[in-house]
Amino acid sequence: MASVSFSNIEKSFGTTKVIHGIGFDITDGEFVVLVGPSGCGKSTLLRMLAGLEEITSGTIAIDGRVVNDVESKDRDIAMVFQSYALYPHMTVGDNMAFSLKLRKADPAMIAERVSKASKILNLDPYLKRYPRELSGGQRQRVAMGRAIVRDPKVFLFDEPLSNLDAKLRVAMRAEIKALHQRLKTTTVYVTHDQVEAMTMADRIVVMHDGRIEQIGTPLELYDRPGNLFVAQFIGSPAMNVVSGTVRRAGGAAHVEAGGPVHWPLDRGPGADGQAVSYGIRPEHLTLASNGDGVPGEIIVVEPTGAETELLIQVGKEQVTLRTHGRPRVYPDQKVHLTVDPANVHLFDRGTGQRLTA
Amino acid sequence: MNLRKVTTEAKLMLIGIPVLIWTMLPIYHLVLFAISPKDQAMGGQLWPDHPTLHNFEVVFRQQHHYLNFFWLQMWNSLVIAVATGLITLMIATGAAFAISRLKVRGGRLAMNLALLTYFIPAAFLAVPMYKTMGVYGILNNQWSLILAMVTIATPYSIWVLKQASDKLPYELDEAAKIDGASPLQLFRLVYLPLMTPSLVAVGTYALLLAWNEYLYAFLLLSSERDITLGVALGNFLAADDSPWELLMTTGLLYALPPAAIYYTFKRYMVGGLTAGAVKS
Repeated sequence: MASVSFSNIEKSFGTTKVIHGIGFDITDGEFVVLVGPSGCGKSTLLRMLAGLEEITSGTIAIDGRVVNDVESKDRDIAMVFQSYALYPHMTVGDNMAFSLKLRKADPAMIAERVSKASKILNLDPYLKRYPRELSGGQRQRVAMGRAIVRDPKVFLFDEPLSNLDAKLRVAMRAEIKALHQRLKTTTVYVTHDQVEAMTMADRIVVMHDGRIEQIGTPLELYDRPGNLFVAQFIGSPAMNVVSGTVRRAGGAAHVEAGGPVHWPLDRGPGADGQAVSYGIRPEHLTLASNGDGVPGEIIVVEPTGAETELLIQVGKEQVTLRTHGRPRVYPDQKVHLTVDPANVHLFDRGTGQRLTA
Repeated sequence: MNLRKVTTEAKLMLIGIPVLIWTMLPIYHLVLFAISPKDQAMGGQLWPDHPTLHNFEVVFRQQHHYLNFFWLQMWNSLVIAVATGLITLMIATGAAFAISRLKVRGGRLAMNLALLTYFIPAAFLAVPMYKTMGVYGILNNQWSLILAMVTIATPYSIWVLKQASDKLPYELDEAAKIDGASPLQLFRLVYLPLMTPSLVAVGTYALLLAWNEYLYAFLLLSSERDITLGVALGNFLAADDSPWELLMTTGLLYALPPAAIYYTFKRYMVGGLTAGAVKS
């Protein structure tokens, strides 16, 4: 177990700079997820920590030791690849034992570690099989087993679930989380899937275009996104964002979004006349029982059983509303929406940064 | 079986049967001569009246002045072919690994330059090669032929192995690296086992190339005790009254080892060795 710290990390491929000065610390035993759209540099950052990519500038330290010039094998890390990368000519047992054999570990110890890992991962019946004889989920577990037997300081996961089908992905997600709770090994996990990030992470690092957008616990990011990018990236369905202008003079404060559309606002941030992006999560929109609120027209009704999602045209823009239960509504119906101003997120239209009072 | 299938098969047969006959005809002649008595060999019959194995006895017992060193020459052919196969494999595997996996700078250029030599027909290179071997002082030494054959076989072998090794998933190398493998361990424990089918194919190619070589063998070796069986066969034609039945018998025997080698190694030339390594 160990801490990891990145400071001023930059990375260029040729003349193309892909990571622009990233720094943050991971504490001992923490499960940190790097998340962002493809091309944001999250995998590159992980591969630099793994020693598979050169670090152009800055330092990476594991447990206080700078590892920039330390070879992968001497960094005491284990990595699980998106494509599993199992040795196809070795049995499951040999795959797991490979690294320990290379280190000339005591055979009794190897056997013990492999058997322990295979019990944790329910791979006992497959130890003598070859990777080609396993299903995708089993292969992914072997890849994890290969990491576990090492008992490394840090686990690295590079989109390990992307190749699995949706159902298996949910199951493996829980398995990995349970594994971390059991082993408490510092873990860095890369994914483009914000749901994975939300459900698994102790802390999430949201990356975009080689920069960190925000670092925080899943609920911090959800409740107080620092900027528009994070606001729209975290959460599914995504936060509704409407462009408008703050009006505070006379009557109730609101954001004017064209014509009669007035989104309510409370005392908080946003000066009179300021151009803003007004964000509201789908579950914070409700259908008004009387004629008050923001007028709109239902476009689509999507029942999912427990919840119903409504796509609603409001002025020039469309917003999504999510509600429990099954409201009796139909397309083309005129409705009114109410918003608790406490749930509103305001962002500067120009910079995209969150406005705070 | 429906009509379309039948017609497709019929068309294939129509092509296949002539090809089969075309291929089998020389072999049939070889066998026909080998089992005919001397006086009937040129008789033009489809099958000899009295088939005999006498010719084989003569060859095996080396009872003709063209055949004084039959066993030694067969051995020479074998040694030279096997040595060529092994040395080519060693060089080509190392080069392909360096170019494809370690991504050594200038590796591709070296490979392309080597391939460029194929623009010059091997026959044109025979005389310079002869001169070179003279400078090295190994003319009439079997090493000269082995080295010449390795030179000819290597560029193609490197290319084939490089293509094959490009297909191995690179994540395996990275996984091995993180698991603690040095480049040599990666080569030995991960790369070689997965390359086995290609290695066998390339080794067999180089081996058969050397086994079938005539021109270079003829030029570089001259003593009757050093030459390969292929060259010795050519010497049969030096006189006007060539013993055709013995020539064909020896030729038949000369053709057997490659066939044996091919069938022995065929089972290693299978695909799908990397199945299950990565999601594809």
